[in-house]
Amino acid sequence: MTTLDTPRLNARPVPNPAKSLITKLNMGTGVVVGAIFAAATYWSLYSLLSTYTDKVRDPLTSVNDNKILLATMFMWSIGFLVGIGAFIGPWRWLIGKDLSDEEILYMAGDGQGWKRYFKYCTDHKVVGMQYLVGVMVMLGVGGTMAMMIRTDLAHPGAKFLVQTVYNSLVGLHGITMIIAMIIVATGPFGNFIMPIMIGAYDMAFPRLNALSWWVLFTAIPVLCSSWILGGIPTGWTAYAPLSVQAGPGMNAFIATIIIFSVSTAVAGMNITTTVVAMRTKGMKWNRVPIFVIGSTISVALAIPAFPTFMASQIMAGLDRTFGTGFYETLQGGSGWLYANLFWIMGHPEVYVILLPGVAIIMEIVPVFVRKPLFSYGAAVAGMAGIAGLSVLVWAHHMYVAGWLPSMNGPFMVTTEMISIPTGLLFLVIIGTLWRGKPWMKLPMLSVFALIWNFLIGGITGVYLSDVPADNYLHGSMFVTAHFHYTLMGAALTGAIAGLVYWYPKMTGRMLHERAGYISFWFTQIGFNVLFFGMFIVGAEGQPRRVLDYAALYSHANLISTLGAYSVGIGMIILLWAVIHSWRHGKIAPMNPWGAKTLEWTVPYPVPLTNFDELPVVTSDPYNYGKGVSS
Amino acid sequence: MTTSIHQSDSEFHVHHDSDAAVGRRERLGVRLLIVADGSFLASMIFSYFYLRNLNNNNAWLPKGVNHFSTASAWMVAIPFIVVAIVHRFGTYDKHVRVITSVVSVLVTLVGIVYQFHQMSHMPFMAHDDNGNSFFNGAYATNWVLIAGAGMFHYLLTFFIALGILIRTHTTNVSPELEVWRQKTAQSWFTWCAIAGVLTAITLSII
Repeated sequence: MTTLDTPRLNARPVPNPAKSLITKLNMGTGVVVGAIFAAATYWSLYSLLSTYTDKVRDPLTSVNDNKILLATMFMWSIGFLVGIGAFIGPWRWLIGKDLSDEEILYMAGDGQGWKRYFKYCTDHKVVGMQYLVGVMVMLGVGGTMAMMIRTDLAHPGAKFLVQTVYNSLVGLHGITMIIAMIIVATGPFGNFIMPIMIGAYDMAFPRLNALSWWVLFTAIPVLCSSWILGGIPTGWTAYAPLSVQAGPGMNAFIATIIIFSVSTAVAGMNITTTVVAMRTKGMKWNRVPIFVIGSTISVALAIPAFPTFMASQIMAGLDRTFGTGFYETLQGGSGWLYANLFWIMGHPEVYVILLPGVAIIMEIVPVFVRKPLFSYGAAVAGMAGIAGLSVLVWAHHMYVAGWLPSMNGPFMVTTEMISIPTGLLFLVIIGTLWRGKPWMKLPMLSVFALIWNFLIGGITGVYLSDVPADNYLHGSMFVTAHFHYTLMGAALTGAIAGLVYWYPKMTGRMLHERAGYISFWFTQIGFNVLFFGMFIVGAEGQPRRVLDYAALYSHANLISTLGAYSVGIGMIILLWAVIHSWRHGKIAPMNPWGAKTLEWTVPYPVPLTNFDELPVVTSDPYNYGKGVSS
Repeated sequence: MTTSIHQSDSEFHVHHDSDAAVGRRERLGVRLLIVADGSFLASMIFSYFYLRNLNNNNAWLPKGVNHFSTASAWMVAIPFIVVAIVHRFGTYDKHVRVITSVVSVLVTLVGIVYQFHQMSHMPFMAHDDNGNSFFNGAYATNWVLIAGAGMFHYLLTFFIALGILIRTHTTNVSPELEVWRQKTAQSWFTWCAIAGVLTAITLSII
């Protein structure tokens, strides 16, 4: 047995050539090198391809320009990673000079203050905070687009936006929110909190942890560039062959998805390995906090799911640039190939988003009811069952597309079967609440909000999984309302609950409670007003993704828009509370909620290696009301 | 959650965990990435057989369009198989590792050159009225993606094989951890061999 090597923690970088390079690299050098790579690629390819093109051409519509744009976007990403120092580790491995202890410590951000947030920092707490800020920015941008869409739909007649801008807004809002929601819980909390919850010093692969964030970061300007390039006219699903025929903005979508898929695979592998291999002594599988289980199932599901999404976009990119015909019927391709690849990822992705949010709620309930989690085994079985079934349901998105009608029945059955494990999750939450006396603090409000929203989202999902009902409702606002109830009403509500719950541990301060309450009611009432109206107009026949609509639907749409503004106000208040409390909030005690999981045993700021010495776990994390712990 | 202080048998950072713990963890991580890569491969194979069976417009392999021979598909897989077998011999013996690493690097280079040669001599290209080249048929379309993925496997294998070769002489990592890393590399090489065989079988069914 050995004890912690304390002197090492206080070690400081020693000068050597490689070290000095690490110390000089940061986000700024990343941007500069990325811009140089991008500019050099654009210029050299433009010159090269123009040499072989003897005709005057529109600079932004030809096949060659798609090649130039896609190559430029990828080289920006690679250049940025070179510039921030992401490849120093692999390079040093290649030449047989692995990073020294001091270099590892420097990369962990030891003693670098706020500057470490702008470096290739391997500390999982720093990566968690980077994800948190990134997610908030993405939700802000996506939410602003939603406000613009709802403003346009407030009255029939479409006077606010023109058609092309509206189409692009719908697509960009969709993909921005999907990306944000995929990382909304596993990004900030899976990185900052989860390793501490399992009693680990760090993530399994700290450098890959930083890589997953910074790779994702490079995708943000790429996605934003689609505005300059004419937008995304296809919606976030980017169905082929429409996406193959779309303008240059589509290149940004394709590049974003490919880059994001790399980030997701790396992050999923890292989180899964950490949980499997780095749990502290005594933390058997039945003692792992339920949030950790939910996050692990979520990212483990993402590992095989997202490469199919990546493949679908690589194929679209090749069709646009190199003359392949994956989705071109004349060349033997098929749009159904895209639909299959997309939805083989697309439906598991719903649960990649949902499971961590619900798991956060299951983590919170026992703490605020002071009761053990009702049927831990059912909670795990429910989440595992959902994950397992989610890969067998993809074709329910294609009932009306005409693909393999004989399979509609089996896919309807598998889809409806998902209700069973989902019901287990409700059972666990309600069973824990049953006859309890909830401590009605801010995080607890989200528990009730999630039960309500997820119930509506789930039940309307059963309608949509039914083939005859889907034939009527497909492509209508009913679908929009359903998946917003699931993804926003359940998953985002769970993530916000997580933010409020773990805010004291992440920032050392309590979130402004009154602002939190006001934000909660504005958001939840507004959300239900916004999307319940959509169920009504959807059932009456209003199509989704369409700029204008018949006067018949005008009242419900106006009410929906007012609900959207209420959500917007609620989110702005929450944003203010987060920023204000970060600097001026009440200093938080080490364990403000009296919870029993390990993250509450460490002080703020959390030490670089989380624990002075590794803890040993001797009981489950929810043993409330079972006597005093020894 | 009841806890007590555990006198750690691992040190303050990942780097200071026991070699076996670090090694197992790295191998698990690589195997999970192989799952992701396997999913990508499955997508390609699905695309190949889906479009082959649809044969839209009779354009899977239009009349008069050539294709690669079955043998050429297997020629791409053979270097992967050789590397996977050869590397296994060098895992535990540093002296043998020099020879096996040199062989791995050279065989991988041969594979890269062969794959590049194939990609620069594709027999199914055509040109439209504007002079833009395109892939004539869905077989051609799928072939190029599979070949590109094969090239990606080759380049990554080359990077790892070269690293192993260089590290037989210069490394500041403990020998035990280095053995674990050989095992981790073996996981990748074995997967590449399996992927090579699967793509060869796929491309043999024209």
